[in-house]
Amino acid sequence: MIKQGTLNRLKHDITHRGPSAWALFILLLAFYFLLYFPDKFEEGARVFGASKSTIASMKSLGNDLNIFEHFMRWLGPALGFELKKWWDPVFNKWTLYGTIYTLAITIGGALVIRRYKHNPYQIVRTSVVMLVQIIFGFSLPILLGANGYKDYYFSYFWPLKIEYLYPENLANMPIFLVLYGIIGAMLVVPILGAFFGKRWYCSWVCGCGGLANTFGEPWRQLSNKSSAAWRMEKFTIHSMIIIAFLTTGLVIANYLVGDHSPALQKSALIIKFLYGVFGVALLSGAVGVAFYPIKGTRVWCRYFCPMAGILGLVQKFGRYRITVKKDMCISCGMCSKYCEMGIDVRAYAQKNQSFTRASCVGCGICAEVCPRGVLKLENKVDPDPQELSMNAFLSESYKQEPHRRAV
Amino acid sequence: MNQEHFIIIGNGVAGIEAAMTIRSRLSVEDAKITVISKESDFFFSRTALMYAYMNTMQREDLEPYERHVYTQQHITLLRDTVTDIDAHNHTITLETSAPLTYTKLLIATGAHPRHVPFEGIEQATDGVVNFVSMQDLDHCERLTPSTSHAVVVGGGLIGIELVECLMYHGVKVTFLVRESSYWPQALSHEEGSRIADLIRSHHVNLLLEEELQQIHTDQQGRVSAITTNKNQKIDTQMLGICVGVTSNTSWLKSATTPPDIQRALCVDKFFQTSLPDVFGAGDCVQIDLGMEQPLIETIWYSAKRHGQIAALNMLGDQVAYAPPTFFNSSKFFDVEYTTAGQVVNTPAHTKSLWRTHPSQPYLTQRIVFDPTQKDQVIGFNMLGSRWNHRILTQWIEQRRPLSYVRKRLHQAQFDVEFGRAKLKAMQEEILNHD
Ligand SMILES: Cc1cc2nc3c(=O)[nH]c(=O)nc-3n(C[C@H](O)[C@H](O)[C@H](O)COP(=O)(O)OP(=O)(O)OC[C@H]3O[C@@H](n4cnc5c(N)ncnc54)[C@H](O)[C@@H]3O)c2cc1C
Ligand code: SF4
Ligand code: SF4
Ligand code: SF4
Repeated sequence: MIKQGTLNRLKHDITHRGPSAWALFILLLAFYFLLYFPDKFEEGARVFGASKSTIASMKSLGNDLNIFEHFMRWLGPALGFELKKWWDPVFNKWTLYGTIYTLAITIGGALVIRRYKHNPYQIVRTSVVMLVQIIFGFSLPILLGANGYKDYYFSYFWPLKIEYLYPENLANMPIFLVLYGIIGAMLVVPILGAFFGKRWYCSWVCGCGGLANTFGEPWRQLSNKSSAAWRMEKFTIHSMIIIAFLTTGLVIANYLVGDHSPALQKSALIIKFLYGVFGVALLSGAVGVAFYPIKGTRVWCRYFCPMAGILGLVQKFGRYRITVKKDMCISCGMCSKYCEMGIDVRAYAQKNQSFTRASCVGCGICAEVCPRGVLKLENKVDPDPQELSMNAFLSESYKQEPHRRAV
Repeated sequence: MNQEHFIIIGNGVAGIEAAMTIRSRLSVEDAKITVISKESDFFFSRTALMYAYMNTMQREDLEPYERHVYTQQHITLLRDTVTDIDAHNHTITLETSAPLTYTKLLIATGAHPRHVPFEGIEQATDGVVNFVSMQDLDHCERLTPSTSHAVVVGGGLIGIELVECLMYHGVKVTFLVRESSYWPQALSHEEGSRIADLIRSHHVNLLLEEELQQIHTDQQGRVSAITTNKNQKIDTQMLGICVGVTSNTSWLKSATTPPDIQRALCVDKFFQTSLPDVFGAGDCVQIDLGMEQPLIETIWYSAKRHGQIAALNMLGDQVAYAPPTFFNSSKFFDVEYTTAGQVVNTPAHTKSLWRTHPSQPYLTQRIVFDPTQKDQVIGFNMLGSRWNHRILTQWIEQRRPLSYVRKRLHQAQFDVEFGRAKLKAMQEEILNHD
């Protein structure tokens, strides 16, 4: 039952797919469109070999729509920063986006910490997410940009940032960044994943997950718990792994032999463009965030992120697990309701089954909201610290006479 | 083809567990399974009613199984009330649909609120609520907007849940508890007093050792005030009565073939009633285990076990019920509680190791042991942190002495990562029980 009062009703409306939630959805969708797509018109026209005049008209259309860029170019001088100085590159729309994003994580994170102040796992995890965003997701890239380098996010790896393994980008990077990107993606991420599950990345470091677990917290319960959604997730996420590998492979192949094969060159350009439009701009950006008020916070993470797909496979065979305390579940459903990945946690808990699901990002909220303390996130191989002695079997016959009623 | 028909009355956890167990053994060709309930179309978690009331969940979220599961498992759900049983002819009569014939019948009708004839309750046509069924929840929700002050009677688990829900909705609550501390059926006086402090710290007007005496109503018949046995008059628009539940079997007494009923529906250790091919399980039964008192258990875990084992017996296996070492858990506002074994009303020669924290009043552990039996541990009562009751009950079953348990207590902790309760900080004393 909704609490009395206009403010409470509005709060319910925006977190339960009411009209205000749909309005926010449309607003966010428009924001992402204006942020990502103006750059794509001209590139698209070129990639698909349109005529000169089409390219020119696409370029001017993109330019007209690029209002955030214009805003930043206006803002610099308005604040007294003369452009074309060393800080010039800072005044672009990505700085604006980064500022909004970081504010959303910081303010949302502070609220999350307040909400779960009795749960140290949530406090530590959320603090790390906020720090990573402020340092690696915001300050460092801006400093790099201002100093004439190409911005680099140390907290992101291939295949989430698919271009970090594109050879033409690697060729222009200092060697230590090249090594950082390759070793990070190929070794560090999966090895840590085997020990701690995907959570070390998806709910401690990654900015996408960071936004979901801070700003997105009020909508986490909207994820779809049906088994049909689970089937779809398995199909889409594995398809995205394949697509990410194919795209990267094609771009690398083109880099190596491209000059000899115009057909390869053309298809590499097209697939790179398509991945940029659909994978990055549409799915991770627009769908990933704009869908918060409608479909919950982790639509991109659950159905599409190729990194999640790979980490999920590692997780299935690694040490991470959610341990279920046997026989203590009252099937209330709080865990399933608040799982942002749409995992029907209750289905496992009421069957006394400890489990590892590939999609689980280890946010720990199921364990937090469970009123009977049934669930525990663990990195251990052996779930039960108690040695099972012969004594235990022998004393099976010793049973207490149950003597009292609870309710 | 000789299809058997299993009919189950009651779609609570006992009934549904039984239906699922039967289906896991018998295919559609062998068995038709029908589950009948008057309360709801689908099985829902009664234990989560409070979360629906507090808007942390919506009604459909309370259902433990996706709705298509019943079609998939070929379990027919029927929304109706069973009014009669004729065991000679193997038929049951329903309120609205045609009579049905069963091969085996399970009565899992649960429990309903205990009726106490408080003075004035007959005149109160509106404003008196219970908190047990879906209809109770609807009733509470209808009354909440027109309530600024509510009184809740009964110091048990359902009472405190209702109090918490009303507080959430900004209703001022007076909580009447007959005993001198909260919930003495499970908590020691000291533990109950701490929880009483906790309840008061949430701005609930908790009145201990005070009982409801009389209910006053306004012209429309709505509750307007109550008087306590200490002659205190309290204005209220809603009166929640949570003084326990009793077996839902009164309708069986006038059946064509009534089964044996005492305090509840009598079953033997195979969940068989006195009628042939009729079984009983869950909150509605009392089980004769050959002990002095028949066993009545009214908690979720027991109802679930009853349903599973009753189903095996309906299938023809002879599986006797052996209740495991008692355990339970709960949550008082934000304080979690785990218990195992015997912790209250233990023999006078037993003692407790009482562990308290210097600065966290709601973090306590009490370990009950028997000095006459080599300090064997017989029970645990843990407040304010999470414990693996499996390990606690194992220690009890292994008859471990206090020294063994005390050294290994950390092995049974179940707190979240980084959040383990600091056991080293606890202060200890030994309490006598006489
Ligand atoms: C608010 C609340 C909180 C609780 N919290 C906890 C907890 O935290 N932990 C715990 O262990 N236990 C808890 N319990 C107790 C637990 O819910 C019960 O023990 C359990 O639900 C019993 O299940 P059951 O299947 O025996 O009966 P029920 O769930 O009561 O199901 C019986 C069903 O049969 C139907 N029925 C009855 N008569 C007929 C008829 N003649 N024809 C057709 N249908 C009929 C009823 O309408 C009902 O739907 C709580 C109970 C309540 C009310
Ligand atoms: S699923 Fe992908 S986007 Fe989401 S948190 Fe994990 S790596 Fe980041
Ligand atoms: S299962 Fe639990 S830890 Fe995993 S994603 Fe869902 S809520 Fe988070
Ligand atoms: S929240 Fe806890 S008690 Fe409720 S269904 Fe999930 S595991 Fe079971």
